[in-house]
Amino acid sequence: MDVKWRLIVRRWKEGWDSPRYQEYVVEADPDTSVLDALEKAWLGDRSLVFEHACHHGVCGACGMVINGVERLACITRLGDVAVGGTVVVEPLRGFPVVSDLAVDKSRMFRASAAVSPATLEPARGGGAEGLPGRAAVRPEKLLDCLECGICYSACPIARTMEEYLGPGALALASKTLELTGDWGRVAAALERRGVWSCHAAFECSVRCPAGFDPGGLIMILRGKSLRERGGGR
Amino acid sequence: MRVAGALREWLDVRGRSLEYVSFAARRATGLFLAAYLVVHMFDISVLLLGEEAYNSLLAVFHGPLGLAFDVLLVVALSLHGALGACSALLEAGLGVRWRRQLYLAAWLAGIGVAAATIAVILYAW
Repeated sequence: MDVKWRLIVRRWKEGWDSPRYQEYVVEADPDTSVLDALEKAWLGDRSLVFEHACHHGVCGACGMVINGVERLACITRLGDVAVGGTVVVEPLRGFPVVSDLAVDKSRMFRASAAVSPATLEPARGGGAEGLPGRAAVRPEKLLDCLECGICYSACPIARTMEEYLGPGALALASKTLELTGDWGRVAAALERRGVWSCHAAFECSVRCPAGFDPGGLIMILRGKSLRERGGGR
Repeated sequence: MRVAGALREWLDVRGRSLEYVSFAARRATGLFLAAYLVVHMFDISVLLLGEEAYNSLLAVFHGPLGLAFDVLLVVALSLHGALGACSALLEAGLGVRWRRQLYLAAWLAGIGVAAATIAVILYAW
């Protein structure tokens, strides 16, 4: 059954002195995603800007701060997060805002490039024996990181230290070392802007929508570096 | 201004997890302990002004104000120590999988030590 929801959206456009909050009232079922509710609002205000693509939690485009907590808008239901029928939607923190809810994540992509990340890992489960008459295959899967930027927004260090490579990139470095054993590829992650600047708040892992556990992976890389390379610096 | 902004970001625990609250508590207690050290250095330096001045200051700290400061100091020391020990383990890559349980244990240990020490202080006061 459709009910009315108040969407309070933090808006900012180039040229504005400061951000402002705008209210949209949308009618929707409690199971409706915040992203679908934003699209309903957009039908009445085409100047509202936000990113989206897959609508089912795979592409990582719609990371936002919803009622104070980082989430993917496409897999967050209004009924689960609304407080008194109100949902406050803000852009991710730690990135420059491009327009309204859209942010520039190039900082995260630059950091990822600095650690030359692997992209595939062995997949668990069937397929290794191959089909009759075919050679056996080693199934692989993409690493779980969606590159949504939620971990950067949740991390207190990434939000306050611009040069920090950030949880996503460092987690990819940790995985890369696990998969390749190549310390050279992850050298940047062992500099001061890397794993040594993490302060174990673990909010990145708690908020990661893919369960990639960036905080845990960072600590694993630190532990390996301490044991095998005396810190690696 | 930049420091104040960073502190606001670090200490804003609304909607955050136990792990994040532990991080913020480490920082808040660390700042309090640093500030306490500065105040302590100041009150010791009152000795330079003579015995009478120092005794007057001691009289202030023997009252309820001193008791309140001592209680705050014990709470800050206990939590900072317990959460710091937990953090040191995790930051060396040890017990990462059980981090939530470790933080919970650290909070319980910190609160327990603080409560026991405060009981001793109150008994002696």
